[in-house]
Amino acid sequence: MTRMKSVLKARETTSFIFLAALFLLVGVINPSFLTMGNISACFNTSVVYTLVAVGMAFAVFVGEIDVSVGSNLGFVATVVGCLLRDGANWAYAFGVGIVIGALVGLFNGWGVAVMKVPSLIFTLGTNGILRGLMYIYTGGAWVENLPKSFKDFSSVTLIGSFTVYYCCAVALVAGIHIILTRTRRGRYFIAVGDNAGGAELVGIPAVRTKVLAYVICGVLSAVAGIIFCSRIGFVTSASGNGYEMKAVAACVLGGISLSGGVGSVIGSAIGAVIMASISYLLVFMGFSSNYDNAITGIILITIVVIDALMQRRSAVRNRHARLAARTAGEGEEVSAK
Amino acid sequence: MTAPERAGNGTPLFSVRGIHKSFGMNQVLKGIDLDLMPGEVLSLIGGNGAGKSTLMKIIMGIYTHDSGRLSIRGEEVILNRPSAALAKGIYMVPQEPLLFPNMNVEENITIGFSRSKAELHRELAETMAEIGWNLDLTRKANSLSIAEQQLVEILRGILRHAQILILDEPTSALTFDEVKSLFKVVQDLRAKGIGIIYITHRLAEVFEISDTVAIMRDGAITIHGPVADFTREDLVKGLLPPDTTKAVHQEKAGTARAADRKGDPVLELRDFSGYGFSGVNLKVYPGEILGVAGVVGAGRTEMATTIFGMDKALGGRVLVDGKDITGKPTRQVIAAGLNYVPEDRHLNGLFKICDVAANTTSAGLFGRKLGRCFLDRRREYEITEQYIQNFRTKVTGHEQLAGSLSGGNQQKIVIGRSLATEPRIVILDEPTRGIDAAARGDVYRIIHQLRGQGVSILLISSDMEEIVDLADRAVTMYQGRINAEFQQENINQDALMAAAFGILEGEAKRA
Amino acid sequence: MKTWFNRLRKGPNFSWNAFLVLLLVMEFVIFGSANQKFLRPALLLTSANDFLPVCMISIFVTFVMITGGIDIQVSSIVGLTSIVVGVAWQDFGLNIWAAVALAVIVAALCGALSGFFIAYCGVQAMVVTLGGSFLYSGLALLVSTLSSTESYQGISGFPDPFKQITKYKLFGAVPLQIVIFLVLLAIAYLLLHRTKYGRRVYLVGVNPQAARYSGVNTCRVIMSTYILSAVSAAVAGVVMTSYLGTAKSDLGGNLTMNIITACVLGGTLSTGGKGSIIGTGLASIAIGLLRFGMPLCFKVNTQYLDIPIGVLLLVVVVGRSLAGNPAVIAKFGRLRAGRKGKKEQAAA
Repeated sequence: MTRMKSVLKARETTSFIFLAALFLLVGVINPSFLTMGNISACFNTSVVYTLVAVGMAFAVFVGEIDVSVGSNLGFVATVVGCLLRDGANWAYAFGVGIVIGALVGLFNGWGVAVMKVPSLIFTLGTNGILRGLMYIYTGGAWVENLPKSFKDFSSVTLIGSFTVYYCCAVALVAGIHIILTRTRRGRYFIAVGDNAGGAELVGIPAVRTKVLAYVICGVLSAVAGIIFCSRIGFVTSASGNGYEMKAVAACVLGGISLSGGVGSVIGSAIGAVIMASISYLLVFMGFSSNYDNAITGIILITIVVIDALMQRRSAVRNRHARLAARTAGEGEEVSAK
Repeated sequence: MTAPERAGNGTPLFSVRGIHKSFGMNQVLKGIDLDLMPGEVLSLIGGNGAGKSTLMKIIMGIYTHDSGRLSIRGEEVILNRPSAALAKGIYMVPQEPLLFPNMNVEENITIGFSRSKAELHRELAETMAEIGWNLDLTRKANSLSIAEQQLVEILRGILRHAQILILDEPTSALTFDEVKSLFKVVQDLRAKGIGIIYITHRLAEVFEISDTVAIMRDGAITIHGPVADFTREDLVKGLLPPDTTKAVHQEKAGTARAADRKGDPVLELRDFSGYGFSGVNLKVYPGEILGVAGVVGAGRTEMATTIFGMDKALGGRVLVDGKDITGKPTRQVIAAGLNYVPEDRHLNGLFKICDVAANTTSAGLFGRKLGRCFLDRRREYEITEQYIQNFRTKVTGHEQLAGSLSGGNQQKIVIGRSLATEPRIVILDEPTRGIDAAARGDVYRIIHQLRGQGVSILLISSDMEEIVDLADRAVTMYQGRINAEFQQENINQDALMAAAFGILEGEAKRA
Repeated sequence: MKTWFNRLRKGPNFSWNAFLVLLLVMEFVIFGSANQKFLRPALLLTSANDFLPVCMISIFVTFVMITGGIDIQVSSIVGLTSIVVGVAWQDFGLNIWAAVALAVIVAALCGALSGFFIAYCGVQAMVVTLGGSFLYSGLALLVSTLSSTESYQGISGFPDPFKQITKYKLFGAVPLQIVIFLVLLAIAYLLLHRTKYGRRVYLVGVNPQAARYSGVNTCRVIMSTYILSAVSAAVAGVVMTSYLGTAKSDLGGNLTMNIITACVLGGTLSTGGKGSIIGTGLASIAIGLLRFGMPLCFKVNTQYLDIPIGVLLLVVVVGRSLAGNPAVIAKFGRLRAGRKGKKEQAAA
């Protein structure tokens, strides 16, 4: 019963209901949408967003942000794509990609947690450097002619019409969620973002936790880059552009507070599905995809503004209740006298 | 209260010997000796700035002491980090609990342990059953009341097998019923042999809950012994400096004019209520210094900031020169002729990376004084220079950054900021907290000077001596209400202190 | 002369600005010695066209950053302005100058909307302007669909007076847009460093709480800075449209990093309270020269230019963080004290 209640109260549930309502709304307007194929397509296309958003969620949990995920994704996609094109072993290529992602994350973590540079600015710098490195690596050319088996793997389905990639991503998100909520150290990320001072006092290493969050973020972006490469089949020098913004938006849509300490990776995964399917849904609703950005922006701003207002109200109310308690106590004591 | 088991082995659970601590030139602790027996509740009382919190921070390993020893069960220990103190079984429940607002109760209690979750859960359940608490472990911390948050903090301590529990003014934000249940918890913990240091401002609680009492004043312990040996009057006396003579203020009596109380008050509060205070009636007359005494959390700052338009007023009216300014925005309050020197100058007063001139004129940016649109630099420098000269502020020039000044000079800048708007009445909130003796003298001089110019002053202070020295009239606030008023001839530290701690006796009672 | 210098020296951020001037001089020396062409005034002035939008916007984003906020929506407002000018002129038949005025008003409203949410609702500036960048670029796209011209082509064929904004050369050499930039710079300088409004902007950034206690309407000040940055983006958008001769909805796409870098390099503290117009102006010109000189003199592909700029940004922020670190300061202090001690010993 209490479990049921806590599930209902969770912020990601709201996001999930929002997603379901969105699907239903589109289904009402255009009944041809409500087929398994369409719905699974929404989920399948979201796989890259999901991974980047889950990575971003780690940075946001600890109260920071990482706007280098997009170029990290693009850079890893470029490197892995080139390796595969030149006939490298899959495992080797993937390994290189993931190591690059981890190193980028480590660098960001060092700058933000150790050097205490504001995260937006530091990762903005990393973003520029990675984007430039991408050009240097390819000379501005597209990475094409990837092995057919690699490209085709993206359409292999595992359960029903869900692709292997999406199923793996779901399993990964579920695994991360369990680690974050059920293990001792998993809770540290949320704790550091929730109350960094309090975390230090109960013996949680805040700096190390932040660095780790960035490394995880980097690794997940790298994995997203590999899948991006396989799904799209080619990499341009602009690949991954704007993913950082979409990932932040997905986190916010998934009920993660950008001030840190609130939310779950499941939320960010659901948010990613919403982000990825908006353009798909618009087509079914008879809008052109031109509405894509405007509607994303409106949804994003509406949600954060409502969230901020609600949080502020509860903070003010708590403060007032506390102050009121002081005077109320006196009243009773006086009457006792 | 029964006396603790002082028999048997005489080794104290925890003892502090000869602790000294200075911050720069300022000696905060001057040789503190304390003992805590297992199962003893030691009440620690002291005014603001007496050094209680410094002592506790040393015990918690947040500060390191200059000299002296700390020992647990006779063994000397070195506590240089919070984690070291935790490992030695010391746990402090801070006044404002440091919980993770978005986590539930159980997570809040069990985070940071290296033991398994199931084990912790079992122990937690057992502990709670043992003490007889009923707290929903799945609730989020931000939905807890302060009392419940304190219980969570105490549980954190117990689960860490703390043997020494420090409660820092736990009842300051609690309701009457919550205080009762907290006391029951303290009794239970005592029965388990845990030593408790109980910091409080409320003398009544000392007699209700503790076995022994210690009073700190000015970095030293003035009274220490079993509660039964003392009366309330003894304790109040212990809080005061030894030479509370009435002769001190003769020079002031000479200079003081009887303020014109027949005229219209400059500031009038009529049944003024807000968050943290209620039903306040006050009148401040031209050229009068009205002292507002009380302990921290009595609602004085809340009252001042609400007058100043920082928080919502809940009822009543505020009149400045007969003009209703209740609930007006700060800018209009200032324009009406009232200004406020905030208690926390770092948070609310000072622009640290701005220069002295920008600080001084910051409250006067509206109106025409500094030019209509462009900033009149020359005028700004003149004003700044005037306050630097008047206040004898030690600065290298107008361009010096306010953050690089000493505490006393910073305070002068903040006072100057408020006065630069040429107010009719100034509310000074703890104007001398944390500044050295010389600067304190300067601030007093400024206050006298202002009164000479006919500016009224509402002086909020927890330093009773300051009120005695300066005020023409004084009131005390206790838990959000004004509980006593003193005319100048009746202002003395004993009476103020007693009233501030909620004890109304003798002549003070007639208020 | 000396007093003038003294006043300058006591001005905002003098030592940092001196460093920036040095950086500029170094750029001239290095690029100039690598390729004489770099020093040709005509070429140099023409090259300004490519980076002036960044300069124009960044000096007003400085206002936002001084209040402790950030504005990443400006680049989408550039595109919105451009397309509004185009559509209003071509498809609504407005006079070109009326179209420009309309576009500036639209931009100001966009800035006001985001500013309102940030100032009055307490949402983080980062998130609102992120949403704003989606919303306004989306709006730009929608506006472009109102036009009979396909959006990827862009609207062109503007009347000559409009094109003259960027074609006209003052004294036959200085392009008018440099003059526009200098005028904006002067306005921003006076506004921030000479008016009471500018003082309020600083106070809000240094300590918003204390500013409230000084009777400053912090919300209104914060909101106004976003309007200012949006209007500057609109001006940049108009200039870019005139220069390129086409109105497109995706104009100004990737200016964000350059703008933020210019502000940070210019000495603006991202936590608020510190920054200067001169600093940002110098830094934005330094970045512009870098973007112009690297390809010209060292044959660096323009696509690679994100690297030196990113590195510059990181070096500056890390360096500044190191300089502000008490441990490092203590170390240097000790070194200096040690040296002094040695000197004294030697003297003895």
